[in-house]
Amino acid sequence: MDRTDLLQELAALRFTASLPAAALERLAAVATVARYAAGARIFREGSTNDRLMIIRRGRVALDMCVPGRGEVRILSLAAGDLLAWSALLGAGRMTATATALEETEVLAIPAAEIATACRDPDFGYAWMQRLAAALAERLLATRLQLLDLFADAEPVARD
Amino acid sequence: MKTAAAAIADNPWLAQRARIARVTPEVPGVATYHLRLVDAQRHAQYAFQPGQFNMLYLPGVGEVAISLSAGAEQQGTWDHTIRAAGSVTRALAQLPVGAELGLRGPYGAGWPLTECAGRDVIVVAGGLGLAPLRPAIHALLAEPKRWGRIHLLLGARTADSLLYPGERSAWERSGLAAQTTVDRATPDWTGNVGVVPLLVDRLAGFDPARAIMFICGPEVMMRYTIRSALKRGIAAERIWLSLERNMQCAVGLCGHCQFGPAFICQDGPVLRSDRIAPFLDVEGL
Amino acid sequence: MPPADSAASSRLPPQLLAKEDLQALLDALRRAGYRVVGPRLSQGAIVIDELTDIAELPRGWTDEQVAGQYRLQRRPDEAYFGYNVGPHSWKQFLFPPQATVAAAERTAEGWELRTVDDQQPPYAFLGARACDLAAIAVQDRTFIHAQYADPIYRRRRAEAFIVAVDCGQAASTCFCASMNTGPACRQGFDLLLTELAGAFLFEVGTPRGAALAAGLPLRPADEAALAEAAAVRQQAVAQVSKQLDTTDIRQVLLGSLEHPRWSQVAERCLSCTNCTMVCPTCFCSSVREVGDLSGEHVERQREWDSCFNVDFSYLSGGIVRNQIRARYRQWLTHKLASWIDQFDVSGCVGCGRCITWCPVGIDLTEEVAAIREEPA
Repeated sequence: MDRTDLLQELAALRFTASLPAAALERLAAVATVARYAAGARIFREGSTNDRLMIIRRGRVALDMCVPGRGEVRILSLAAGDLLAWSALLGAGRMTATATALEETEVLAIPAAEIATACRDPDFGYAWMQRLAAALAERLLATRLQLLDLFADAEPVARD
Repeated sequence: MKTAAAAIADNPWLAQRARIARVTPEVPGVATYHLRLVDAQRHAQYAFQPGQFNMLYLPGVGEVAISLSAGAEQQGTWDHTIRAAGSVTRALAQLPVGAELGLRGPYGAGWPLTECAGRDVIVVAGGLGLAPLRPAIHALLAEPKRWGRIHLLLGARTADSLLYPGERSAWERSGLAAQTTVDRATPDWTGNVGVVPLLVDRLAGFDPARAIMFICGPEVMMRYTIRSALKRGIAAERIWLSLERNMQCAVGLCGHCQFGPAFICQDGPVLRSDRIAPFLDVEGL
Repeated sequence: MPPADSAASSRLPPQLLAKEDLQALLDALRRAGYRVVGPRLSQGAIVIDELTDIAELPRGWTDEQVAGQYRLQRRPDEAYFGYNVGPHSWKQFLFPPQATVAAAERTAEGWELRTVDDQQPPYAFLGARACDLAAIAVQDRTFIHAQYADPIYRRRRAEAFIVAVDCGQAASTCFCASMNTGPACRQGFDLLLTELAGAFLFEVGTPRGAALAAGLPLRPADEAALAEAAAVRQQAVAQVSKQLDTTDIRQVLLGSLEHPRWSQVAERCLSCTNCTMVCPTCFCSSVREVGDLSGEHVERQREWDSCFNVDFSYLSGGIVRNQIRARYRQWLTHKLASWIDQFDVSGCVGCGRCITWCPVGIDLTEEVAAIREEPA
């Protein structure tokens, strides 16, 4: 995939769409496409991973390992979603296992390149603003999931 | 001699005799009751708008407001998909096929299908919230040329509580684009995991400028679905939701379902989000 | 539909009814088939109950009302109507506290479902005040609307004959002037009395009122009587001291749903439902299934309910308004704000009953003023 295509792709993906053109250029220069077959592990909880990913196609499941319960699925992600942000924010240690649920393609960006780019305040502000918004969205969704809103809908034996 | 319709208008408390023609178990704890009005003429003349509800009455137990989940054009009966949760619905769950109950309705305002003309329609349902939307989906799929694309975003707690699995496949074959998600994934589930608003955040294949959204589910889910829809550029006046309150008389006389400026039984249950959203965020209203 | 009110301009000229001829009015109403109800003394208050003789009226009594207090007192004179509104209102006759609305009988095949017709003979109300007439007009909008009507209310309302009485005084809890409902009666009555020292000024409001008046010993009112009546009415106007500022009240209240005042009033409010029971416009009700032991015969009994009852807002997911704060807010904002959205009129007529009969003396006019003073 050449750089122009990558640029167009980044401009269309939800996470990066609203970044300034200059920022998109910088990302396109360092991004690569990675492909995963259905069922393939993208990374494992506890492992280190130095690339941040944006899903361009397919679906990815995030699981956490709970002793006695095995892998518990927390969330699934799809095109436009950010993946592996611990590469940038968590010293590279992954906090969930990511598995491709179907044939999946991601745009992978070395976290070190982003960290370097972030020293430029314009890029850094724009990037971190998108990242914070994505995190907030994920946090809200997690809270809603925590509320267990359909718990009432489960058959319960009252009286 | 008064007509039946005039007698009902004269006295809103008059219930019709209805008989359980069939019961279809749906997901755990939920079944669809296929009802037939005992008076054949009334059964044939009964009509409703998708999104409207009936009061179902078990003498000695009480009444409960239940949305119609399908009209007689589907299986020849007036269908109600019910979760056995309260005293009336639990008593109903004990009734055998052939048992009689009372029915009055239909009541309230339904989904604004005429507003869907030429628009992409996004139907968002959580749990049993799909039931009152099902007749709207039937109506949409009956005349696909009148609308743009039709999306269904459906969430439930677990995979086995996603309503109407067989029928959803048929809808998809008729051109509806369905996505499902669950809050709690079982090991065998390979579908989406996460709450419904995330499906709205990610939805592709619609034009926000000409999209209309119908939402029914738990109130918190609806609140955050509205938020996601607004972020995606769908105008508040084209987002509609179906609210649940304690409907008792169903005709705006008893005061139980009052919510902000509305009686849910009469002005709703389907309301336009911009008219009601300011009140949704107030705890305990 | 209720009888149309004739415009004031088409009314017959005022006449006079001698005090002792009040019995003739009562008799005429009874002869016409009405069950006459009006003010009577009972359990230390002036309530509304059946009247057969004018001697049953609380003649020579008055009441003193302040927030949370009601006291009967002797008057220096022998006035028949020298008091303010009490704990009862005419609501209990048009919208009975308990009524059977439907019934079911088990049959071989299933159930026979029927409605139950109201059997109550027509009422005549003797002594309705301006705020009472306004309250009836408010409830007309609730119970008789375009799509559905409450059959009991609709029938009783259409039949009810209303003899109104103009107030010659006001309690400290009255604020009808603020709600633009009184103290003078302007419409909504068949007959109107104003009590003078030696007679009643007698005015006719409807053809039905005129027909009944035709058999009464009336004489034309002279200038002096008209002047005296004007002075009586003016005295009531002068005594209305409580005020409720209704400017933009809908926006003020609905824009203050998170105001700290709701929590403060909730610390006092007992959620006892008194205010809603005495309110002449509150209309909430619930239906109860009442079956016999065999389960073969079931009646559906409607009873007054209140938004202050904790299970009033019950939903399958739980109680929506679990806190007193939420319930008081629901009541006040409905009464004074969202009522306007629903019925195009305020739900408050300024009668002050909710203030007098609140066991802890909560005064809605003070609550509104406090919210208005410090916008949240």
